[in-house]
Amino acid sequence: MVGSGIRNLIGLLLIAPAGALVLGLFVYPLGLSLIGAFGPSVEGGYPAPFGRFRNALDLYADDVLFSVLVIGLSVGIIAVLTVIIAGYLTLGTSPLAVAVLRWLYRWPLFIPFIVAAQAMRGFLARNGLMNNTLVELGLLTPLSAQSFLDWRGIVITMVWKQLPFAVLLVAGAMAALDRSTIEAARNLGAGRVRCLIDIVLPQVRATFGVALVLSTVVMSGVLSVPLMISAHSPTMITAQMAFRINAHGDYGTANALGLISYLLTGAVAWFYLRQGLREKG
Amino acid sequence: MRTLLLSTAVVALLAVPAAAQTRTLTVATAGSQNMVDYVTDYLGPLFAERYPDVTLEVLGTGPGDAGSQAIYERLAAQRNAGVDVIDVDVAVVHQKMGGQMVDEGLLAAYRDAIATGALVTAPTAEMALGVDVSGYVMPMFHSQTAWAYNSAVIDTPPASYAELAAWVEQHPGLFGYNGIRNGMSGVSFVVGWMYANTPFAEQLAQGPFDSGITETAEWADALASLAAFNDHVTFTPGNAGTLDMLNRGEIMMGPVWVDMFYTWQADGRVSPDMRLTLPSPGMPGQPMYYVIPEGAGEPDLARAFIELATSPAVQAEGIVEQFNWYPGIDPAHLDGYLAPESWEALFAEITPEDLTAYSRSFPIADYFDTILVAYERDVE
Repeated sequence: MVGSGIRNLIGLLLIAPAGALVLGLFVYPLGLSLIGAFGPSVEGGYPAPFGRFRNALDLYADDVLFSVLVIGLSVGIIAVLTVIIAGYLTLGTSPLAVAVLRWLYRWPLFIPFIVAAQAMRGFLARNGLMNNTLVELGLLTPLSAQSFLDWRGIVITMVWKQLPFAVLLVAGAMAALDRSTIEAARNLGAGRVRCLIDIVLPQVRATFGVALVLSTVVMSGVLSVPLMISAHSPTMITAQMAFRINAHGDYGTANALGLISYLLTGAVAWFYLRQGLREKG
Repeated sequence: MRTLLLSTAVVALLAVPAAAQTRTLTVATAGSQNMVDYVTDYLGPLFAERYPDVTLEVLGTGPGDAGSQAIYERLAAQRNAGVDVIDVDVAVVHQKMGGQMVDEGLLAAYRDAIATGALVTAPTAEMALGVDVSGYVMPMFHSQTAWAYNSAVIDTPPASYAELAAWVEQHPGLFGYNGIRNGMSGVSFVVGWMYANTPFAEQLAQGPFDSGITETAEWADALASLAAFNDHVTFTPGNAGTLDMLNRGEIMMGPVWVDMFYTWQADGRVSPDMRLTLPSPGMPGQPMYYVIPEGAGEPDLARAFIELATSPAVQAEGIVEQFNWYPGIDPAHLDGYLAPESWEALFAEITPEDLTAYSRSFPIADYFDTILVAYERDVE
């Protein structure tokens, strides 16, 4: 009896430093910004408690929609490419091609978003490296070259940066599968594509979902990419939050935008969790 | 051996309090990397020659208004927490924030206490976007926005906002600017547009604030014509983005900061074909201010530091020759400190007459916000 009490106490003491860090550096500021999202708006004169949300949506409804579309499109492309790359890593028959792909696909993982954004600025510009290469190859004329530094640039950078992460998770899960199921299907005459879609994918669905949800969360929080790639409007929620604070010192509206962003990613996570529970139950 | 190690450790421990007694001057500077470079690489060594026992700590808080906002929040938080000694001795802030800090009593008056205080004649040393800052600030430099253009393609650039509006219709996509969210050169372009296309230029720059002007037809027309103008332009990703796109030949013209333009050109990052023009009826420029927080730990050292930084020799060599800014003190006092070539190079494309005629200040803080909000609501 006494022994277990002491053990509990020691256990609590052991997690105390980590717990204090989480409380002080995450829960406390999160609470502050949640509270800060409610109240009368400085601008527009909307009253509490939802004034700041009204002001935020008044000014940035199209940016919220833009963020949803850009992230949705990016996640969609990531999903398709992840299946293709991870599928080939698992089912590919050329050892050389698999080895090269395995070596190549991880590179963007080690490059920070801001560096990727800066590289894309030079790569995707109208007279940037990509178009110049296409022109040199005779695939494009200089006059028809166009800049990709808008929503397309954001999508390309997000996908390039987040794809290796998703592939890493999904390919890992695929590699851990019992290969006898795959071989049985192959022996019964299933093609590789059929095998991937009907046998492999259903078994790694949970990991696939985690990879996409985590990618959504990461992409929702990226500031450098929209800021550096595109000066167009609408832009992503993060860029508008930064602008609210930097240009107006208006933390209220920025907090409201942050909460909207939080609710959006929260909705994705909730949807995913509900799916998972339903399958288990 | 062991004794030696032990005694070394003891000596090292004893040495720590002695080292801690040397004084430290903390300088926080807003602005891009070149501002931090200026303080660490140029001013730092000069100051160290005079005060060898003082350690200089430089804190870069980031570019644009965000950098000044960070300094403001640091000072305001320390004051609200009742801290006795503020941990910043000298700060370099933008004009808008300089005014706000004086307004809120965060700064100490020091200009009359330093020898170089009398060398300043600029109106921006007295008023910062509608706030009386006389005595509290020393301009570090003045910076100006202008239009850069590719002279290999454009012989005679548009000389005014009205001519530019006609020009972009004939040459769609060849003028580029960075909106209002990606750096001050774009903000400056928008402010210049409002000065040019409304009858309120004087009131916007001088005050008093009257939100009624946003209800007028002229105000609405200026915003509507800017929205139409935006259909014919290219948006660039930031101040540096405009220069990059000019240099890659993707745009032929765009608003830039004069100092950044000359620095890039000197580094070979902008083609010598690029030239500058300051259009009618003018574009904004702004100073950066040296300020001393109220309650700073080393006010004497802080004053000595600013006195050095605003001395004619440093203004001539550091501000004008090395960093291509316009001096913060009256240019007349640089006589004898500056090589004639440097002087001519600084004014080769934008003459002192152009500056007198077309260099404007940014609007007073309330109008500044009003314009940004109007752009978000009605132009984008």
